[in-house]
Amino acid sequence: MASFAHIRSLTRHETILAMVVVFALVALSAQSDRFFTVANLLNQGRLMTEVGLVAVAMTFVIASGGIDLSVGSIMGLTAILIGVFWHNFGISLPVAAALAVGVGTLGGFVNGLIIARCGVPPLIATLGTLALYRGLAEGISQARSVGGYPDWFYLLGQGQINGLPTQLLVLFIFAITATIILSCTVWGRTVYAVGSNEIAARFSGLSVERSKLAIYTASGFAAAIAGVIFVSRVSTTRSDMGTGLELDAITAVVLGGTSIFGGKGTIVGTILGLILIQSLKNGLSLAGVRGDGTIVVIGAVLIVTILLSNIFSRDGFPEH
Amino acid sequence: MQPLQKSYLALSDISKSFVGIPVLRNVNFDVRSGEVHALLGENGAGKSTLIKIMSGLFTPDSGIISVETKETRFTSTADAMRRGITTVYQELLLFPELSVAENILLGHSPRHAWGGIDWRGVHARARDLLDQLDSTDLDVSIKVRELSVAQRQRVEIAKALSYNARVLIMDEPTASLAQGDVRRLMSIVKNLRSRGVGIIYVSHRMPEIFALADRVTVLRDGQIIGTEPAHAVNEARLVTMMVGRPIETVFPKSEPIFGETTLEVHNLSSGSLVKDVSFSLRRGEILGVAGLVGSGRTELAHALFGLAPATAGTIDLKGTRVTIRTPSQARDLGIAYVPEDRGLQGLIKSMSVRENLSMAAFERNSKGIFIRFSYEKKRARNLIRRFNIKAKAGPNQPVGRLSGGNQQKVVLAKWLETNPEVLILDEPTRGIDVGAKAEIHRMIDELAKKGMSIILISSELPEVLGMSDRVLIMNNGRCTAIIDRENATPERIGAAMTVSQKAEAA
Repeated sequence: MASFAHIRSLTRHETILAMVVVFALVALSAQSDRFFTVANLLNQGRLMTEVGLVAVAMTFVIASGGIDLSVGSIMGLTAILIGVFWHNFGISLPVAAALAVGVGTLGGFVNGLIIARCGVPPLIATLGTLALYRGLAEGISQARSVGGYPDWFYLLGQGQINGLPTQLLVLFIFAITATIILSCTVWGRTVYAVGSNEIAARFSGLSVERSKLAIYTASGFAAAIAGVIFVSRVSTTRSDMGTGLELDAITAVVLGGTSIFGGKGTIVGTILGLILIQSLKNGLSLAGVRGDGTIVVIGAVLIVTILLSNIFSRDGFPEH
Repeated sequence: MQPLQKSYLALSDISKSFVGIPVLRNVNFDVRSGEVHALLGENGAGKSTLIKIMSGLFTPDSGIISVETKETRFTSTADAMRRGITTVYQELLLFPELSVAENILLGHSPRHAWGGIDWRGVHARARDLLDQLDSTDLDVSIKVRELSVAQRQRVEIAKALSYNARVLIMDEPTASLAQGDVRRLMSIVKNLRSRGVGIIYVSHRMPEIFALADRVTVLRDGQIIGTEPAHAVNEARLVTMMVGRPIETVFPKSEPIFGETTLEVHNLSSGSLVKDVSFSLRRGEILGVAGLVGSGRTELAHALFGLAPATAGTIDLKGTRVTIRTPSQARDLGIAYVPEDRGLQGLIKSMSVRENLSMAAFERNSKGIFIRFSYEKKRARNLIRRFNIKAKAGPNQPVGRLSGGNQQKVVLAKWLETNPEVLILDEPTRGIDVGAKAEIHRMIDELAKKGMSIILISSELPEVLGMSDRVLIMNNGRCTAIIDRENATPERIGAAMTVSQKAEAA
């Protein structure tokens, strides 16, 4: 289709970001010969899946002008509940996992209700539920961890299909679906409309409330799935899982060119942002840079990329 | 003509381009002390650029600015203000959380010897400035947030005077004022003139220009078309100068053909803002709604459109009782609402013309949940042609880059895409130029002729009188009268707009 005009106009940031990613990959390969190997790259893909799932959903949240800080806590809560449902209540593991995902999704739905129905600003609403859900997770777990899951459960987090890590396929399907929804459907258009000008969206007869509910519910669902994958990957359940994950996800989304003020952003950008962060983390540590140094570099890359993108897109339309 | 009178501020041969596009070409303009000089022109004619050059915000590419016959350059707005040139912008630039006095004297407050702000002096000085504007009723210690638009404007003017303004530039000062406030503003302007202040008065409204101006200058496409003494020109002449061609100044109202009743409203209330309003509307009929700002006109529209659902009363559409709780319900029932604030409510400015045009009628341009991009673009092209929307870059141009009149056409087109039976227009011609205004009036007439039922809310009495078959007058949330076209006079409507308000207040 030749008429993907709004996508075309937004690709500029993604193009710049793609070049930064290529540059980073080349530079990091030169630093360590263990970096650019199939095994290492696939393993990194495995490691970035959880943040990736959350970041893909977060792209919708931020493009709609919101933010979701509670995703890390939802992930932790889901993880704990799998263990509790299965280990303590004796529910079969698939059912336990499904129930836990249901609770996580409900957590997102509650965020949506607080934000859309009660009009609480997303930052405050999800800051509240960040503490609330984490508190629930800790209360339920009583600082005990659950392990010893059956072997088949590890397929999701540690296994592979045709040589690809299982969860990377999950992320792939998730990202493709999200791309189609955001760029080709009425729902995606609604997300951008709500993020650009919520009042005009409402005056145009769009269901702003319903779309916000859907967005935050989806964000909760993505975090819950990430929780299941996390448990499967690390073979154990603890209540502090996913702490700080929300910031990693938001960094990837913003690095990917989604406007923190809403109305703009693509899944492609988010995935590129994700790849850049993960390769910096891994590549720098392989090159012998200490962990604190890596964080500094990631922060600097975020700021420089956004600056570059601003310089190159001077025709950016002023909002007011 | 009058070479003896000296200009306080004079511009000669001023040119200015932005990214290679000339916006002003060899402009000569001046203002004398103690005169009102009206500046007219369609949107995009270069008025705002000219104002910004005079107020020191822009530097001209070429040409000479002189203050009291001395050639000069303004390095900043502060510099222009020091030389006595101040501007009251259309969007009032006040700090809502600061008091009236603080706003007036921000940045140059009287100070104590030790450097602290002399609050007593600040209040006294602010009081004095407002008293000079016959605004003894305005409390200087309350926060600006609590003031009405008209009161805020007076605060802006007082602020300008606090810099000892010799020239006051007023950019569409009456655009958002009610009739009574307009009269008050006009007397303030006259008062300033008699004290020797030169006033540059930018406005679209002819009656004000003829009541106030000593001289009139018309700007078109960045060039001065002419500067004339106000008594030597008439409205038709000015409009022709502005648009470059003669324009119908009468309203294009056809003989109406009424069909069956489409909308019947009984005792509709919405909170405390709309009380007990009843009326009916037929096919092909234009019902004008007049009333002061805050009289409940817009709230009535919001109740009908589900933005602020009715709290009591009934709505019947084509004989069927309906409940409208959300805008999407209203739209699906065949009601469309073109809101009063197109920038905030009507359009998503950062999105393209194409996206805005399909915003209210997605199902038309989609298959299931998927948007049909090429069809959407084709439809947008058609609408752009049909509504004569001037979008240079085509359907993908961001709508915020269009002129006001073209933006309004986009909003109108977007709602006509829903095939409404009842079309509610809230201030459809506010802040747009004469040419586009005439086009919109013609569209409204055509829609009525095709059998649409139209509710036309407007602050401009001539527009209501000129376009409506009947006029409904709102006052304090109530409908005080519904007057037929033949009997609708400005006096009768004015009386219904104000009379019972006094009775209720007493």
